[in-house]
Amino acid sequence: MKNLLLNSFIIILISSCSLGHYGKLKKVNTIKDSLPHSIFGENFNSFLFKTNIRVYGKEYSGLLVTKQMEPNDYRVIFTTELGMKLFDFQFKDSTFTLHYCVPQFNRAALLNTIQKDIEVLLMNNLKTHSSSVYTDAKNTTNIIKIDFGKTQNYYFINQEQKQLIKIEQAKKNRKKTTFTLGNYIDNFPNNILIQHHDIKLKIELNLLKK
Amino acid sequence: MNKIITLIISLFVSSIFAQVPAGYKAVKETDGFKQKMEEQSKLINSIESDFTQEKYLSVMSEKIITKGHFLFKKVNMLRWEYTEPLKYLIAINKDKMFIKDNGKVSKYDINSNKMFKSINEMMMSTVNGTLLNNKDYQPSYFENDKLYLIELTPLQKGAKDFLKVIQLYVQKTDYAVVKVKMIEPGDDYTTIEFTNRKTNQPISDEKFIVK
Repeated sequence: MKNLLLNSFIIILISSCSLGHYGKLKKVNTIKDSLPHSIFGENFNSFLFKTNIRVYGKEYSGLLVTKQMEPNDYRVIFTTELGMKLFDFQFKDSTFTLHYCVPQFNRAALLNTIQKDIEVLLMNNLKTHSSSVYTDAKNTTNIIKIDFGKTQNYYFINQEQKQLIKIEQAKKNRKKTTFTLGNYIDNFPNNILIQHHDIKLKIELNLLKK
Repeated sequence: MNKIITLIISLFVSSIFAQVPAGYKAVKETDGFKQKMEEQSKLINSIESDFTQEKYLSVMSEKIITKGHFLFKKVNMLRWEYTEPLKYLIAINKDKMFIKDNGKVSKYDINSNKMFKSINEMMMSTVNGTLLNNKDYQPSYFENDKLYLIELTPLQKGAKDFLKVIQLYVQKTDYAVVKVKMIEPGDDYTTIEFTNRKTNQPISDEKFIVK
């Protein structure tokens, strides 16, 4: 009896975990445009962010520049306020190139995670994956789900302003990372917060210039 | 024909001595210059100035321009404050370093961290010109009619990885450092230009403590 109770408790716990977050979403088929628009757009301009990266108690602060060099070719460079380059990334089509990195950042797990986070923000190569559209219970937000195989990204777009306000990255229906995009000015989110739920990593990007 | 030969020879010669920057010639009396520079820096007890920093990222053909204000007071006190387009403050008070970022103050012991130590050395010597006597750099001296240009080539392996040369531009009239250019092994560089420089004005010690 005791075991049965325990088992059913565990089953409830597991099922509520896996369904809890995304189970309430309603699928809609009426929305044709089923890909979120990239926040950076196709404009070849540079974007300069004051950036803070907090990882397991350590904090790195500096300036992050993103620039689209060609269609599907982005360069992302992070320097300290004093001008010292910390890393230099290139995202071209589906290839990532690490051009430079200081020893403090040269740890595979950290670099890989930051790279993946920036990739999510750049919203490149979404077309090649299958997508479906949902709405929330209140019908105020459209949610586009894009399936990358191992992970799924949920793009939350408010229906009124048509702004991308959140991206959630999930693995096996569990939320791994939340990207919060706020303070929209001229159609661009001036504050971006990347919060990891399974590791102690938080990245804050505040737009200084574009 | 002679002209062409002269041109070829001069091109050849200039490529051998390519280290001499355009518009400058080598300083003959380097000892005299160094002595004068030291004498002048001894007369300075404090400096206050605005600065404009330009970080050039060659792959993007992009300049990140930041501006701010700095204060220096003998011995070993420095306040380096960015005001545009971001608010960020570094203050060095003897062996303590403060960083104020997003309203949050962090305090460090300079000797606890190799990077802070080199930031401190770099900033201090940039401001008062003592980098000339630093054994970690090989100096070369150039001049034109208005400026001295000191090129410092790092000798240590660690520094060489991210720094090709530091150029200090020193005004002939008062031996003030008016511009610093740090060139990296790629084509990237950072320049810092100083304007509205005032020396030996009273500056309160409070300015070098950040709360």
